[in-house]
Amino acid sequence: MAILTSVSSGHPLRRIGIPRALLYHRYGILWETFFQALGYEVILSGQTTRALMGAGDRASIDEACLASKAYMGHVANLVDRVDAIFIPSFASVNHRAGFCTKFQSLPDMVVNTFRDEKLDVIALSIDDVTDERKTKAAYIDMAVHLGAAPRDAKRAYKEATTAQAAADEARARRTAETISLIERYRKVAASDPSKREQAPPLLLMVTHPYLSHDDYLCGDVADAIHDAGAFLIQADECDHAKSLKRSYDFSETLPWLVNRELAGAALDLQDAVDGIISVSAFPCGPDSMFTDALMRRVQGIPILHLTIDAQSGSAGMQTRIESFIDILRFKQEGGYLSA
Amino acid sequence: MLKGFRIRTGTTDVAGAKRFRGTSDKEQKKRFRKDRHKAKKVAVFRYAYYAPAFKYFAEQVLDCDYLPLPNATRRTMELGIQNSADDVCAPFKHMMGDWMEALESGADVLVQVGGPCRLGFYGEMQEEILRSLGYDFTMLNFAHGIERGYVGWAKEVMQTVNPDIDIPYGVKQLMACGSMMMKLDAARDIYMANAGFEQERGAYRRAWNGLLDAFSLCETSKEIDAAYAMYLEETRAIALAKPDRPIRIGIIGEMYTAIDMDSNLELDEKLMGMGVEVHRMLNFTNRYTRYNEPNLRRGVAEYMAYDMGPTTTLTIAAAKRYAEEGFDGLVHAKCTGCTPEIDAIPVIRRVSEDYRIPVLYLTYDTETSDTGLMTRLEAFYDMLAMKKEASL
Repeated sequence: MAILTSVSSGHPLRRIGIPRALLYHRYGILWETFFQALGYEVILSGQTTRALMGAGDRASIDEACLASKAYMGHVANLVDRVDAIFIPSFASVNHRAGFCTKFQSLPDMVVNTFRDEKLDVIALSIDDVTDERKTKAAYIDMAVHLGAAPRDAKRAYKEATTAQAAADEARARRTAETISLIERYRKVAASDPSKREQAPPLLLMVTHPYLSHDDYLCGDVADAIHDAGAFLIQADECDHAKSLKRSYDFSETLPWLVNRELAGAALDLQDAVDGIISVSAFPCGPDSMFTDALMRRVQGIPILHLTIDAQSGSAGMQTRIESFIDILRFKQEGGYLSA
Repeated sequence: MLKGFRIRTGTTDVAGAKRFRGTSDKEQKKRFRKDRHKAKKVAVFRYAYYAPAFKYFAEQVLDCDYLPLPNATRRTMELGIQNSADDVCAPFKHMMGDWMEALESGADVLVQVGGPCRLGFYGEMQEEILRSLGYDFTMLNFAHGIERGYVGWAKEVMQTVNPDIDIPYGVKQLMACGSMMMKLDAARDIYMANAGFEQERGAYRRAWNGLLDAFSLCETSKEIDAAYAMYLEETRAIALAKPDRPIRIGIIGEMYTAIDMDSNLELDEKLMGMGVEVHRMLNFTNRYTRYNEPNLRRGVAEYMAYDMGPTTTLTIAAAKRYAEEGFDGLVHAKCTGCTPEIDAIPVIRRVSEDYRIPVLYLTYDTETSDTGLMTRLEAFYDMLAMKKEASL
């Protein structure tokens, strides 16, 4: 079902803003392409910065999670620059592939938070993302509401989903390429009798896309890993459908789609990587249980868990990552058995 | 008012006798023999005042023994904290403590519910943690079978706990169990509205405890009705010294913490102790049996366009209704990190602004101090009382 929350001020709708946060990092290409195909100018909020996080913090309840505060910052960043902001609501009608309730309450939370700014919001509600027919209907309904002809809306949706699928596929391919590269390297290293050559450690980052694709929030982690000479792949940059299917080996009742995809990817790739880095925003509801489950169910591979909060210093994190990678190298060389 | 739950078959219930209905002699003998063996002991987590209904469910619907849990202690909490992830929400920790105590006192079956937030994953994680600690048990987890609703749940019950349940009898008793929960809610509403003004101290508490005891002994829907009628009679006879315009406070918030007295440190009792008329729309009746989210949301359309989470619509609707009815204040209670209720706060703030109604926001964790809470409640009460006096 698509409903327009409020486009009140009567001015023509030309520029639509999309906050570069939360599910933008998963469905962003779809959204951008969809609105562009409908003839709107799409304006993205700027990259996350300290100032933007500060604005988000001021607009949020203290107890809200870091990712939610970042979202508010991105909305604040767009307020004066656009005619309306696009904020979808993702409900959890499907008990096995839902979302954190944060994604459901976003449009109403933003409208109430920015009530004094008279913010115009374009919203739609997607009850179950695994139901492709209903999801398509929701987008098309919204476009028709905005004044598009149903035919144009359908065409735009098709274009948008194709673009998103192509981008997802390209990411999954890149992940597969990295894995096969490291595998080849390992083979070469193993054939070297002097054992002086070692393949660089390959790490799997099990993290929500809103962290792993945000340079401000999670860039330090990736930099520290690269600086230590390790390779990094992302659990969310794998074949989503395949991961989702595999996740039922991980858990039957895990309620969140994104966590399911991360879990499925972790199971699929645990033998291909040397270690797993799990990163959560503080305080993340789903991850408070998911991380525990991951630690219990993915055994026999070192896992480092990091929690990102609003503290700015990254030295502590760097030290932890460096020592983790040292451990992985030590293990590669044979660990205590060969020492 | 409770017509939907009245039992339709005309005959009197004789517990046990009717359960073998419609089966062959051989089958009857087999079941009779089975009945001579020790029944499974079922435990349900501690939750507010619903223990009598949980007992009814275990005995009458599941046809097992119910294992009552004593009042929670400091140890319960510590067991829960030690064996849960640090930043999981507080109800998870309370329940972990409950499970460990239940298993230590001999439970075979633990009953966990499912839900639309983290609650949906509680059962699976708790089962895994308990198993890794070495406990042996069966968990009846209603997060399984949730996709197929009642049919799925019935199958789950038959598969995990008792394959011999007589379905028509079980359904009838499940209805009676629902009716008991609704009566508990209604009885609690009466209690919260009046207990602060009783002339004889403790009279309401006595009647309420009497109701809980009577409900614990009920085996049929008729007995439930009789016990409730008795409670109504008793409470009606209690003399009240209620001022014309008492201070009225509405409690809103999250399904577990706002209701459960172990979690909220008897928030409602503390307010009643100060002489406050307490209301709490949030309960089983309003969240489950009569819950119509889209229509509830229609009444607060100026604040929200979509369902915002498990209890958020009810929270906002209650806040607005109390504000419109001229309540003096609201208390919003939730556990740390409860995402849906955190998201409700920006909306409650708008209600508070629009109707000029003060709101006290309480976040409970497992270390919340009783004295600290009392001080905050007293200060809130004083402020409301002064505001009221000034407006008179």
